Amino acid sequence: MMKAYFTDLEAGIVKAINDGNSSHRKLYTLELARLGKRLYSGTDPIAWCGITAPFDLLNAMGVTSCFVEFIGAMLAATGVVGTFIEETDHAGYSSDACSYHRSVCGAAMKGIMPVPEFLIGTTCPCSGGLAVLENLARRFDRKLFVLHVPQEDSAGSVRFLADQMREMAAFVSRITGRKMDGGALRKSVEYSNRASATMREIFELACRVPSPITSRDFSNFGIVMALFFGREEAVTIAESYRNEFKKRIDAGDNGTSGRKFRLLWIQNRIQFRHGLEKMLEEEYGASIISDELNDITWDPIDPENPFDGFARRAISIPINGTTEKRIGHLKKLARQYRIDGAINPCNWGCRQGAGARGLIENGLKEIGLPVLNLDVDCVDSRKFTEGQLRTRLEAFMEMLDNREPLWQS
Amino acid sequence: MYYLGIDIGSLSCDAVLIDSGSAIAASVVVPTGARNRESISRATDEALRIAGISRTDIAAVVSTGYGRDRVEERLSSVTEITCHAKGITALLPGIRLLIDIGGQDSKAILLGKEGGVVDFAMNDKCAAGTGRFLEAMARALQVDIDDMSDMDAGAKGEQSISSMCTVFAESEVVSLIAGGTPVNEIVMGLNRAIASRILSLVKRTTPSYPDVKIAMSGGVARNRGVVRAIASLMGHEVAVPKDPDTVGALGAALIAKEKSTLQRRAAVSVSLSL
Repeated sequence: MMKAYFTDLEAGIVKAINDGNSSHRKLYTLELARLGKRLYSGTDPIAWCGITAPFDLLNAMGVTSCFVEFIGAMLAATGVVGTFIEETDHAGYSSDACSYHRSVCGAAMKGIMPVPEFLIGTTCPCSGGLAVLENLARRFDRKLFVLHVPQEDSAGSVRFLADQMREMAAFVSRITGRKMDGGALRKSVEYSNRASATMREIFELACRVPSPITSRDFSNFGIVMALFFGREEAVTIAESYRNEFKKRIDAGDNGTSGRKFRLLWIQNRIQFRHGLEKMLEEEYGASIISDELNDITWDPIDPENPFDGFARRAISIPINGTTEKRIGHLKKLARQYRIDGAINPCNWGCRQGAGARGLIENGLKEIGLPVLNLDVDCVDSRKFTEGQLRTRLEAFMEMLDNREPLWQS
Repeated sequence: MYYLGIDIGSLSCDAVLIDSGSAIAASVVVPTGARNRESISRATDEALRIAGISRTDIAAVVSTGYGRDRVEERLSSVTEITCHAKGITALLPGIRLLIDIGGQDSKAILLGKEGGVVDFAMNDKCAAGTGRFLEAMARALQVDIDDMSDMDAGAKGEQSISSMCTVFAESEVVSLIAGGTPVNEIVMGLNRAIASRILSLVKRTTPSYPDVKIAMSGGVARNRGVVRAIASLMGHEVAVPKDPDTVGALGAALIAKEKSTLQRRAAVSVSLSL
């Protein structure tokens, strides 16, 4: 089912591009389809991973790898996620658990998760994701390597994690029988660095007033780009985004015309089809121009000594560590992007998301930034109550309309 | 000229007509029922009858409430949060914190000096602590919901309701009845449970609530026991306007007047510039 879905998706986008209907977003979706196709090809060696695994290292070793939450998001986007979540209900999983993770477990139970060569777990960003990988490792009878990501950014932490990543490379070699190719690793790091540098440019363009960004542009962008790190596609996609935004700025087409509000989306977007972002743009002139997970928080990685760089990158990710660190990062984004209001979906079942919402709200209010806390299951569309969410979002927009602008023009 | 505000909630459809001096000419509450459009027509017709005017006398309509987009004649729709803020400021000037408990949601709204919304918090998905919750509890107690208002009289307040899920709370109430707990103690327990839920919304929006004037609107504000429980838990007086369930519709009518005036001014300025 998934292989056919990704194959059809790829064919559709290729046809659209060949018909002259290309765009940055189409290129991004095309590469997602190709990644999905590789994952479900049945021939490529694949690995299921945690979100902060070094995908460029795995790509350099010829392993198609992916964090499992991607599959949850894909199942949500295709509108079939309910079947898989129900499967976990039947098996006794708590309905309060994260739907990203439940859908993946359900997909494995129903036999639509390809059997991996191995699994790489990460202790960041959440213990739920690691539990899913342990679950899958047992189900598939495959080995799981766990990267313990330290929270503190220090030389000792970097050394500790870099050593684990070296061990991880040796673990992958043992399982796949492929030796690490120094040249391939250097090339991989170069692609990652070029993509990261271009993403920095993209985010700087997005900060402009008016911003060239519409709400859809950055949906799932930063977090999924990590899957392409180490491959040329990462550079191609990033350059396509940068060129599109430059083109919009040059043409004076700054995103949505008549825009009034610049919004920051906290954590992850709603993964299934819904009309809320369109409603915000069309009825209130409000666009999401920044996402918490869209940022480059690390320096270029040294191709001659990449493990320290990989480790620094994983440690630097704002969702690794304390809520205080997250708040600091969100405040930075709010200032950089001159944000009018932040929306926190508080993904149902996410302990990190829901548990931190009070602290995040209070932290952002310290700089005068209004925050709207929602109560959304970002994956399970069966729980979606659009009317209730519309009322909250509309009231938030009316409130912003009634306030003095937070940032001086 | 008259201005009409319609608030289509989950339980009731409210209509308020104001005249050009913002005085209330008619105020109507009808059950929403299963057909929104019928209840909108019924509420509108009744308001027109009371005011003794015809539809052509209405200059503008603004709708609010969950069914706000069902009002075809609307100039615009505005959320109930903004409308309740507007309405309560007209009725009770100086209110800075408004607690609104409607049929399926509850809100704490922090108001600015002019009655604009500064911040707000709403209940999450669960409808516990709302009008629907009280309806379910009245059913479990086999009493009329309107009679629940003073049923807490004489209670010592020793019975807490541990579950705030509507379904579980209903079975808890049934168990308490079966165990011989006096009805007044159960009702006070329910009122306190609602108050506790409201207090968390209040604290999120208005940490300085002990220092500001507080009011309550929405249909549940008619329940004196709930108002008493909220006031007691907050240690603060809670004002209730004479017609708490039409505060949102009044706010909508006032916004209809503002918007209509702005539109007329804009039209005049365009015609002058031509």
